[in-house]
Amino acid sequence: MIEVRNLTKKYGARKAIDELSFTINAGEVVGFLGPNGAGKTTTMNIMTGYIAATSGEVSINGVDILAEPEMAKANIGYLPDTPPVYGDMRVREYLNFVADIKKVRKGRKEMLTHVMEQVSILDMERRLIKNLSRGYRQRVGLAQAMIGEPKVIIMDEPTIGLDPKQIIEMRDVVKRLGERHTVILSSHIMQEVSAVCDRVMIINKGKIVAQGTPEGLSEGLQKGQMQVRVKGGREEVSAAFSDVPVITSLDFADVKEEGTVELILNGEEGADIREAIFRCCARNDFPILMMKSNELSLEEVFLSLTAREACPGGYAEEADDGLCPTGAAGLGAEPHLDEVEVAEDVSDL
Amino acid sequence: MLAIYKKEMRTYFTNMMGYVFLAFLLLLIGIFFTLLNVRSMDGNFHFVLANVTVFFFILVPVLTMRLFSEESRQKTDQLLYTSPLTVTGIVLGKFFAALSLFLIGVAVTVVMPFLLRNYGDLPVAQIAGAYIGFVLLGAACIAIGVFVSVLTESQIIAAVGTMGAIFVMFLSDAIAVSMPTSTFASLMFVLFVIACVVAVWYNSTRRILAAVIVGIIGLAVAGGLYIFNDLIFDGIIVRVLLWFSIFTRFDFFARGALRISDIVYYISFAALFIYLTVNVIEKRRWR
Repeated sequence: MIEVRNLTKKYGARKAIDELSFTINAGEVVGFLGPNGAGKTTTMNIMTGYIAATSGEVSINGVDILAEPEMAKANIGYLPDTPPVYGDMRVREYLNFVADIKKVRKGRKEMLTHVMEQVSILDMERRLIKNLSRGYRQRVGLAQAMIGEPKVIIMDEPTIGLDPKQIIEMRDVVKRLGERHTVILSSHIMQEVSAVCDRVMIINKGKIVAQGTPEGLSEGLQKGQMQVRVKGGREEVSAAFSDVPVITSLDFADVKEEGTVELILNGEEGADIREAIFRCCARNDFPILMMKSNELSLEEVFLSLTAREACPGGYAEEADDGLCPTGAAGLGAEPHLDEVEVAEDVSDL
Repeated sequence: MLAIYKKEMRTYFTNMMGYVFLAFLLLLIGIFFTLLNVRSMDGNFHFVLANVTVFFFILVPVLTMRLFSEESRQKTDQLLYTSPLTVTGIVLGKFFAALSLFLIGVAVTVVMPFLLRNYGDLPVAQIAGAYIGFVLLGAACIAIGVFVSVLTESQIIAAVGTMGAIFVMFLSDAIAVSMPTSTFASLMFVLFVIACVVAVWYNSTRRILAAVIVGIIGLAVAGGLYIFNDLIFDGIIVRVLLWFSIFTRFDFFARGALRISDIVYYISFAALFIYLTVNVIEKRRWR
């Protein structure tokens, strides 16, 4: 559906995106995740033919965006970061204009009504766009992108500036869109991407740092790590667990309750260590007060991946702050990426 | 193109600009009509049109200042340039919308010569010629305005820039007369033009070699001409400036002389600026 090969965009000497390559299949919902200035908007602007890349190719449905822009653009609906709406038009009038420039002829009236229904702005159709609130303008912008049933809908930060209720509504809309279109959206908010996307690409400094399913990204980094709180003394517990063969490492975290210890246990790769923990504690009569799997949230994956270049020594501190409860070992070490493709692999494709 | 045209026409009448322009144009024509024709009982309506062309530098920016600058300020240009429209279609749609509004204003004034006809004979050829010239000159100025508007995000800068450009063209024959005509000055002028072309070439293609080759070819041609026929350089500054003086040509129309070369001149002048506008937009898609 969408193929991006070795895309580079230079602004002067600075590379906004750097040899970016990826493929997006029909029907996928893909999220670009990255801090501000990572190159998400630039990538989207190039994919939609708004600006040209310095080098590299983009093809939409097999059509090169530079060679045959009109044909390629007919497949795309684009919602840029600022909704491209005319303040002095009324909602329906504006959408009618968009239908004009997208050369929609048949069944226009029904289509406009249907689109407005989907983003729930039907009751606003006679209002001047400049009098609408930010959230409604965003929806009008989204409606604009949906006109003409484009195969691909690209959205740059679709929920920015919306209130929590509107964000949830917007997510529902995106989910529904995903059933019939290929959807690409960008965000710097993790929950958003993990809520709606089949696949996440984490972009930092113009490069894909990692990609995979939201679950894959967070699990892949930390498989089999458990956090356990048991009643008992530090030394006894440490001694007891060091005898268990499947547990490969043991760290202590800050004590949260008096008379207990907080353990972080890593098992052999792929092994389920929960039972071993239970047996060991039962044998030694350590009551287990809490046991939880230490999966990284997407947020932590994101932070660890995007911060790696910025401050290589910075993880240990974050871990102490409780920001990354997995401990320094998990974050500093190269993660085991089962379902996660790392950028090096991607560029070889 | 039609979609953009319709939108621009609608916008002219939803945000006052269209009314302001029409009111201003008709007011000016009305004032000159009253002074030159009605008060002095004179049938030479083409003088009225000739006088109004002086005010093109204020009239035209009203029409064109918003066209592209407002799109880029509101970021609606992203909608247009990512839509399946061609850039040429977008530019032409806007150009023709501005031209149509201008024509609406001009069409209203046709009443005036008809009023005058009731009181005597009119110089029909001159008046008809003046109308054709007026429209063509207007089209050329509108094309300049469209071009300036694509260069900036600010309506004010677009307006002032258009004013300046049209005003300089208006004065260009006055400027031309005072220009030096010596061969040395002409040669310097030609070198300056070649340098400009090379700079523009490099700026748009970023290929230093191509730009240097263009420069060398330009210098060779200029040098060759200088050696074989240095008369060509005689007063070249004046001639070039006079060529750019779009207002002097209007006089031929107002004398009732319809020359194909003048008509072609105005149309190609407008076409040149439309072409430049398209290129400025397309440039963002160049590597």
